[in-house]
Amino acid sequence: MAPAQQQPPTSKASDDHRLVELMTGYQQGRVEDFSLLYEALAQPLQRYLWTFVRNTSVAEDLLQETFLQIHRARRTYTPPRPVKPWVYAISRHVALMYLRSQRRRKESLPDDELPEVPVPPEIASFADRATLYRLLDALGGHGRDELTLHHLMGFSFEEVGHIVGCAPGTAKVRAHRALKALREMVNRERQGEDP
Amino acid sequence: MSSQRLPDELRRRIESDLDPVRPLPPAWRRALVVAAVAVAAFAVMVTFFRLRPDLHQLPMWLTWGCALLQLAVGVLLAGLALRESVPGAGVSTGVVLAALGLGLAVQLLVGLATWMWSGQPAAGELGAGVKCMRSDLALAVPIFVVALWLVFRALPLRAPVAGALGGTGAALASDAASHMRCPMSDPQHLLVWHTGAVLVMAAVGWLIGWAWNRLRWRRVPS
Repeated sequence: MAPAQQQPPTSKASDDHRLVELMTGYQQGRVEDFSLLYEALAQPLQRYLWTFVRNTSVAEDLLQETFLQIHRARRTYTPPRPVKPWVYAISRHVALMYLRSQRRRKESLPDDELPEVPVPPEIASFADRATLYRLLDALGGHGRDELTLHHLMGFSFEEVGHIVGCAPGTAKVRAHRALKALREMVNRERQGEDP
Repeated sequence: MSSQRLPDELRRRIESDLDPVRPLPPAWRRALVVAAVAVAAFAVMVTFFRLRPDLHQLPMWLTWGCALLQLAVGVLLAGLALRESVPGAGVSTGVVLAALGLGLAVQLLVGLATWMWSGQPAAGELGAGVKCMRSDLALAVPIFVVALWLVFRALPLRAPVAGALGGTGAALASDAASHMRCPMSDPQHLLVWHTGAVLVMAAVGWLIGWAWNRLRWRRVPS
């Protein structure tokens, strides 16, 4: 199954190369490169953070926190490794730490408007965007992250493995199982609606 | 969704601390530092302290060979801890479990092989056991401190895992010296006190990682 936002390989490679250059410049102390890095990554990162918290203003706060953590940890990035798995791994951890603190406080957030994340064709065939996000919650931790990163954010399974901390094969299996579970949930809902 | 422009407040905070930084060396190069400390500790122990009385009756592979194997696996585990400390470059849970299992298996097999070869009956002296464990832990501390210092200079996202790997590695490398010095080969002594030291260090590493994680991420907005 192809990722939703899959780009031609050359375009993806040149984007990755540009991010590596920006990150290297940022490590050398150039604020302009940090600014460009922010512009390139802020929007997809905020969408990704939204999938955890379902609240735009919290996702914005977490985005700022992610970039502060990136700043504190900027020396741990080793060129010419891809920048995105490094950034998304930090971002995911920021979101998980936030959710953990919310669980401790037993607070829940109101749902927010849906972000403009395109629904990939393999999912659009059986669920619209609202259903997709509602059922992603019901999936819980069982492959939701892998499904989101691959099918919604367009990462390869190798990149998903680096972000989540598992082998690429494991990421593929989890995403596949999550997609299957999602399809079954949609079918069950439809059967429930039928007279 | 908000605009993609860098917010002024974030720009100010970044600019106030934007010294150039040198990227961390790869994990294998940082692991060489741990290896140097582990080898130095081993060399000091076998050079300046009394070795086991049956050293010359045991085959070379069982004495020096097994000690070097323990050292190598200990450094390997520390290297994995260092790799785990870089975001997006961590090792999978399967590899972590396999590595911890390998460390424990090496520790157990070295102990059992030594007992089978030397044929020493079970003794189980409490005082000697406590002394051995204390010695193992004391020697593991410098290796552990260096490994954790290198781990926490980076950004381990699964800090307890990195801590447990570092602790197990340090204890295993430390036990290499004990293997050359401890005169007791009965399985009870080896399994309880020497393997116990490895488990204690793994648990301590896990706890330190857990505490570090709580402190490092306490300022996430909530």
